[in-house]
Amino acid sequence: MNLNSEAIKKNDVEIAINNVSVVFKDNQGNDVKALDNIDFDIHKGEFISLLGPSGCGKTTLLRTIADLLEPTSGNVRVSNMTPKEIRLMQKFGIVFQNPVLFEWRTVKKNIELPLEIMGYSKKDRSDRADEMLEMVGLTKFADHYPQQLSGGMQQRVGIARAFGIRPEILLMDEPFSALDEFTKEKLHLDLLKIWEKTNKTIVFVTHNIQEAVFLSTRICVLSPHPGRLSAVVDADLPYPRTIDMRDTPHFGELVSKVRNSFEGGSL
Amino acid sequence: MMKTITKIKNSKALVTLVWVLGILVIWEIFAFIIQATKRTPENIMPHVWQIFYSFIDPKPVSNGMSCLQVVLFNAGQTLSRAGQGFMIGTLIGFALAILMKLSHIIEKIAAPYLMLIQLIPILGMAPIILAMTHDIGSSRIIIAAILTFYPVATNTLAGLNSVEKQKYELMYSYAAKKSTVYFKMLIPSCIPYFFTGLKIAAPMAITASILVDTLQGDGGLGCMLSQSLKHAMSIYVFWDIVVFSAVIGVLSCSLMGWIENAVSPLKRIERKTKKKKEAA
Amino acid sequence: MIKKRKSLWRRLKENKVAQGVSSVLLPILFGVLILALWQGQVLHKIFNTDTNTLPLPSRICHIIIDNIPAFAQNALYTLLVAVIGLVVGSIIGYLIAVFAATFQKWGKGGLTIVGAFNAIPIVALAPVMTNWTKDISNDPNIRSMFAKTLVVMIVCIASMSINAFRGLTELKPFALDLMKSYAAKKSTVFFKLRLPNSVPYVFTALRVSVPISIISAVVSEYFAEYIVGVGREIRENIVLGQYPTAWAYIVVACLIGLVMYGVLMLVESIVLKNRRIK
Repeated sequence: MNLNSEAIKKNDVEIAINNVSVVFKDNQGNDVKALDNIDFDIHKGEFISLLGPSGCGKTTLLRTIADLLEPTSGNVRVSNMTPKEIRLMQKFGIVFQNPVLFEWRTVKKNIELPLEIMGYSKKDRSDRADEMLEMVGLTKFADHYPQQLSGGMQQRVGIARAFGIRPEILLMDEPFSALDEFTKEKLHLDLLKIWEKTNKTIVFVTHNIQEAVFLSTRICVLSPHPGRLSAVVDADLPYPRTIDMRDTPHFGELVSKVRNSFEGGSL
Repeated sequence: MMKTITKIKNSKALVTLVWVLGILVIWEIFAFIIQATKRTPENIMPHVWQIFYSFIDPKPVSNGMSCLQVVLFNAGQTLSRAGQGFMIGTLIGFALAILMKLSHIIEKIAAPYLMLIQLIPILGMAPIILAMTHDIGSSRIIIAAILTFYPVATNTLAGLNSVEKQKYELMYSYAAKKSTVYFKMLIPSCIPYFFTGLKIAAPMAITASILVDTLQGDGGLGCMLSQSLKHAMSIYVFWDIVVFSAVIGVLSCSLMGWIENAVSPLKRIERKTKKKKEAA
Repeated sequence: MIKKRKSLWRRLKENKVAQGVSSVLLPILFGVLILALWQGQVLHKIFNTDTNTLPLPSRICHIIIDNIPAFAQNALYTLLVAVIGLVVGSIIGYLIAVFAATFQKWGKGGLTIVGAFNAIPIVALAPVMTNWTKDISNDPNIRSMFAKTLVVMIVCIASMSINAFRGLTELKPFALDLMKSYAAKKSTVFFKLRLPNSVPYVFTALRVSVPISIISAVVSEYFAEYIVGVGREIRENIVLGQYPTAWAYIVVACLIGLVMYGVLMLVESIVLKNRRIK
């Protein structure tokens, strides 16, 4: 499949973020603007990165999409519905920075967990879990417990669990930031492969510019204090992406383009 | 051969064994001193073998029963009540922890009282509870239950509160029902904590039950203990009960550990990884 | 957990001041309710008992106020037993932990034994201690005080040694490596790293030990030969059928516990002032 941002733009809008602002109260009771009037659309099948330094509100934005947080003003629409409706329809897959596995369940049972909650039959659950295990290459570890796996393997279980429910939208909150470079590179390729195969919309939060450029179709650059959208950069590298693309001049150009679009300049 | 020797040398069991032997040796040294200086050494510190012999000595000490028969017969009475109280206390403690998790209002009301309740000398209240119930059996059960309830409730609650926020968010994103969150996430998470509570509570329930025995003269380990101290029967009954209650106290704690090992998958993995490490 | 309905209820839940007030007010209201039910003899109906067995709170207060010297004297003896036993037991427990942390292979086995001692019922311990201390002094007061203190001490050793051992050995990752890189002596590692690291654990142990020390003091008084102390008074008064006085002594025992716990909390908050970062 040869996706590019041109083709995606013609597709429907999947997630519409309309003038979203989020205001928190800090310990002294002062208002802190975590997000200031964010407004943009995410298209169906897109791999979008929310990129920025700590405190830019990228996770906050993801949480408003996931219905984990309500915007102070503005709203988020997903497939023309509220995030809550989408959540209740169980169409979100979420991957956190930590794998968040249930340590008393085996790897396979962890992948089956959301399917159990959604009321799938035992056989369907087992089949789906086997399929997901194969996809992330952990078939041999089905009966292991999470504590027996390495960090990278645990994160792969988390990804398999998220894809297992066949979500419409996959929300990933810095899923690879705790992993070493080698594992990260491998998981990048795995994730892209799964994405191209399933054609889901992915919203990917990261603070790593190279990671964002390598993975996404588009990059939303957020700047802190207050959290605001500085730029949207098209990462127009062709798919399928390969490791050696990271060494091309175009990759370097994209990285510096993204870096220069941060407001406040110095990072 | 050499390997097995080093294995034995490094094993935990050997270390424990050496400690036990050491304590026995110290006991015996004092026992010999006491034997040489006192008129009734068995009242103060009998030899270890004398205590053990009294266990198997068939000579009747009370109502035609030997020491061992006296101890076992009365232990049945004491322990069954301790067991019942322990179960009731466990149930109440677990239920309270769940209730406190379910409702903020209940948590707020109960939290300071959970702290206060451990400052009440419940064991000291044993006579009053006996006066209120007029029945030694039910007083035993009630006191054992109260003593069990506290550690079970606090530890289970700590377990329920130990679940990370992200797990809640994951369940939330699945639109899981409250009951699902409890049965699939919260309750399995608190199981190790729950067992910690049980391990603390089990010896306490037994202590409580024995103490209540001492208050009234109708059987039970504690009753025999005080009679033996008053020389109503052989003093060895006292020593046997001391040894027996110590062993039972330790065993009750280990029993909870065994049950945990049997029911908790987490413990099984821990053992597996430990074995692997030892093999490597 | 993350419901989105912004009702009055929800806004109250989010208000920190309202939360603070309610977490003080609710338990107090509950306590007042129980006291009212008690004073109004509703509790007596529930437990099917009379005002002699379960005397009214007002009566208990009267008894205490009318007999302050007697109560104070008995409370003092119990407090002495509990505090001395707690302090000495905790110090011994800590020394055992230091020993175990220094010679870990043998020390851990020793700790298992100490832990096992913890499971021995106080009821069995108390008469043994009374027997063992018969020759300490000709004065029954002194020797029974000694026996009681020994019981409290033994009970307090276990929780301190086990917790302190964890505090001395469960160090921050790489802390030992850092000390090694400074070529620090064993004693330096102990005083600069292990000892400070164990302080919060010591308080964890004391939180467990304080209530236990009171209970063991009271129970060991049951078996002691010299008639003094709160526990002894509870028992004597029950034997004599004077339940209200017994209740008054139980309340005193609770108060001793509260005072000791309060002092511990105060000391802890001062000592660990800079440790607990929210």
